[in-house]
Amino acid sequence: MTQARKSFQRRRVLGIFAFHGSASVLSLLFLTPFLVAFLGSFRAGQEASSPPIPPWPTNGFSLDAYRALDTFGAGIWQHTINSLIVSLSTALITVVISLLAGYGFSRHRFPMKNVLFVLLMATLMIPFQSILTPLFIMLAKLKLNNSLFGLTLVYVTLQLPFSVFMMRNAFDAVPKEIEEAARVDGVRDLKLLTRVLLPLVMPGVATVAIFAFLNAWNEFLAALIFLSSNDEYTLPVLMTAVRVGRLGSINWGAVQAGVVVMIIPCVIVFLLLQRYYMRGLTAGAVK
Amino acid sequence: MTATSTSGKTRPQASAHRPNRRRKEALKGLFFIAPAMILVLVFFVFPVLFTAWMSLHKWPLLGAPTWIGLRNYTRMFSDERFYSALGFTAYYTAIVTVVIFAFAFPMAMLVEQKRRAVPIYRTFFFLPVVVGLASASLLWTWLSNVDSGFFSPLLEQLGLTSGRINLLATFDLAFWTIIAMVVWKIAGFTMIILLTGLQSIPAELVEATRIDGAKRWQRFRYLTLPLMRKTLALALVLSVTGSILAFDQFYIMTSGGPQNRMISIVYYIVNQSFVSFNLGYGAALSIAVLVILLVLSLAQFWLLRDKGERA
Amino acid sequence: MRKLLATTTLAAMLIAPAAWADTIQMWVRSGVGDSFKETVKAFNAGHKDKVELTEVPFSELVQKYATAIAGGQAPDALSLDLIYTPSFAASGQLEDLTKWAEGLPYFKSLSPSHVRLGTYEGHIYGMPLSVETSIFAWNKDLYKKAGLDADKAPKTWEEITANAEKIRALGKDTYGFYFSGGGCGGCMIFTFTPLVWGAGADILSADGKKATLDTPQMRKAVDIYRNMVKKDLVPPGSATDNGTNFLSITNGKIGQQSLGAFSIGTLITQHPELNFGVTLIPSVDGKPSSFAGGDNFVVTKGTKKLDAVKGFLEYVYSLEGQKIMAKYGSLPTRGDLANEVLAGLDPRMKVGVDAIAVAKTPYTLQFNDLINSANGPWAAFTHAAIYGDENKAFSDAQAQMQQIIDDAQ
Repeated sequence: MTQARKSFQRRRVLGIFAFHGSASVLSLLFLTPFLVAFLGSFRAGQEASSPPIPPWPTNGFSLDAYRALDTFGAGIWQHTINSLIVSLSTALITVVISLLAGYGFSRHRFPMKNVLFVLLMATLMIPFQSILTPLFIMLAKLKLNNSLFGLTLVYVTLQLPFSVFMMRNAFDAVPKEIEEAARVDGVRDLKLLTRVLLPLVMPGVATVAIFAFLNAWNEFLAALIFLSSNDEYTLPVLMTAVRVGRLGSINWGAVQAGVVVMIIPCVIVFLLLQRYYMRGLTAGAVK
Repeated sequence: MTATSTSGKTRPQASAHRPNRRRKEALKGLFFIAPAMILVLVFFVFPVLFTAWMSLHKWPLLGAPTWIGLRNYTRMFSDERFYSALGFTAYYTAIVTVVIFAFAFPMAMLVEQKRRAVPIYRTFFFLPVVVGLASASLLWTWLSNVDSGFFSPLLEQLGLTSGRINLLATFDLAFWTIIAMVVWKIAGFTMIILLTGLQSIPAELVEATRIDGAKRWQRFRYLTLPLMRKTLALALVLSVTGSILAFDQFYIMTSGGPQNRMISIVYYIVNQSFVSFNLGYGAALSIAVLVILLVLSLAQFWLLRDKGERA
Repeated sequence: MRKLLATTTLAAMLIAPAAWADTIQMWVRSGVGDSFKETVKAFNAGHKDKVELTEVPFSELVQKYATAIAGGQAPDALSLDLIYTPSFAASGQLEDLTKWAEGLPYFKSLSPSHVRLGTYEGHIYGMPLSVETSIFAWNKDLYKKAGLDADKAPKTWEEITANAEKIRALGKDTYGFYFSGGGCGGCMIFTFTPLVWGAGADILSADGKKATLDTPQMRKAVDIYRNMVKKDLVPPGSATDNGTNFLSITNGKIGQQSLGAFSIGTLITQHPELNFGVTLIPSVDGKPSSFAGGDNFVVTKGTKKLDAVKGFLEYVYSLEGQKIMAKYGSLPTRGDLANEVLAGLDPRMKVGVDAIAVAKTPYTLQFNDLINSANGPWAAFTHAAIYGDENKAFSDAQAQMQQIIDDAQ
């Protein structure tokens, strides 16, 4: 073996070492908060309020923290179901509406197209906290306040700029020829959209759906203001009550359990659909 | 490949279209975008116009509003707390953006490599992004708690600090704790955006410069960076816009920080509107933020514009 | 036929609303204990009208209620922190209860601070619902361990500080004193201002038009707390506790702290292992004082269920209602029944009632902006004065409070 070859070999091994070394350290930094919360949430009663060192339960596995969480509001199941209803319907409605709008903006010509598109995008620029009161008045006028459906519509609106942007780009990326070929075969309009184009923009749809789901699942301020009965509260609103504590002391066990319950669906959705999600995100981002 | 985001596809159609055909086409287009536009009109445009209207009034949360013209806007100029909120928001935005990029860029270069286990690392780095900011803040509130949390007992046990340090008690410590939380939460997202930029650099080009004997740093400086200009600008704009609207982390982790030093501009708006119940003034502040963001968006168009790179 | 039916129904509604079982929508802030919830439960069990309670996180209650009024969706009644009653009454959104209230045979014996706060320009808009006073508590077990007389209530802050030092010496995790110092305006007005009130000073002038923060008494009070923090007698977590760990004494490792009479019941029922004593909070010169807090019952203007609401409130004021409230920790709102209601309950509850006699409540329309807001001058002042630059804290807060008062004129 020549000297140069040897040194090249050594450099390669060193490179692999440096790569995996730094990547693992970073991974550990990013994962630690999750692991500590997850493991810590299974510690028993008094132990849950002491520092999580070590993070795993040392006095035996226990669901105390989750039981404590269940005593807040109308019970953890009720609020989880509310959150699921809102998040899933937000995802569904967002997909349908942005699919149509993305198609419209990408493939049709109509007056004021750019103005309308910019108007839609402008939604991103307002801190929606500052339009809560008018929004509330609007919902009340439509008799949609204190209803999960009303909340869903608000969430859909907040999702629209990003989603329409994504979908328009997704349609832009579809070659015109495919559409023209389908047209020649007599497939038109909605049918063309659902049968021919939809499969082609699926990564975009997945991204839109996942973002809508996650954002609706995690939002708390609007939920807090717009919902006014215990039974309708979503999980994040429940968490504000947990955070405030009860009887002048905060139950850290319940906080950990609550954070875990909040996080798990996000992580599952992401891990399952990661491929589409990343593809959609990267496709949308560079356009 | 690099169609712009700003202009719709308005390539001239065959001139054979007759006017009524075009009208039909336009109607169809409007039909497709109608649901989205209706929602935006009802739940966004109307509330914003209403906010503008409110900003011209003294508008208590309860009771009757009175018209005061532009006085809410003139009040802003002499409002110390508004200036300090602006100052803090700018400070936070600058620092957090720099730190996010300092992490996200190397991370993107790590996961761009074609090595074993890269997809797993990428997933790990990205995982916090899918968690809500509110959940993340709450999680970190616990982790940073001095009595029941993770960080300061850990530091103490490792012998790095004598006694436990309350990480949220002083401005600097609390500020950097929040920065750490935000970087943990956001860096993965910026990483993915930068990654798309890195991946769009043609491999042949990199190879060619390598053969030409360009050093790693030179390749980065003269090839990677210029070709990623647009991606960088996009990541920058997203980060800056997001930071200017920051609220949850300060509200949840420090309730505005030691001695109110962590009141961001949105926090101040929420306080004026819903704590002090000066809805009119809060609305005026919202309009001010809207203007600031509009200016930044124009800057965005300018940064993202095509310099005739494509024919 | 159908029209006739509709007309009769309408007529029936107009003539005899009381004959209909109404459901009163009512909001209550979360985290104030079970007394009110239990009273509602008892009321619902024995009456045709029902009360439907919604718990709202206390930090968001006012905002939510105000937004709901703006949207025309407010509940019929609300349990409102009494200090907010003046500003809500001033805005004209509350039902005037004067006539009915003054007709109650026991009107004169209702908690005076509550009625004073519930009155705006001579009309009564808020009625006492729960009474809460601030008191001082100490952990008797820790006193014993530290070699102190467990049954001797401290009378001065010198004594409290000395005791705290002895308790701190017991161990690493044991602290002598606790307070929620992380910018919790509500906690500090409740537990800290009695230190100056008892000594004759106040943070606002009597008419509420002048901020009078910088007094020798306040300087002295701040120094007492600063000194304890400096000597490490207070857990480091207190510097960032915005009220969530207000009752830290329940962890058994805190020797002394000021708390609410409300908590006496909580401590007894939820923490039977805690052996504690209570006394009045001494001021800087030893004379005791207290903060009279709690909730006022307010009715949203224009509610259609006024009679049912009144019926419910009369139940709360009945001996039965007062007893349930007291059993779960609220002090009696009716002075004439106090002895009867408290009979058989823990004698420590009596200290809370005694505090009413020396207690004060600030009357200001800007209570939220000045005092309670986590980002207001008072919250910032208490944190800065105790943990930071004392002189700057005084001058900043004094100026800011005055500005808020002047802006509102």
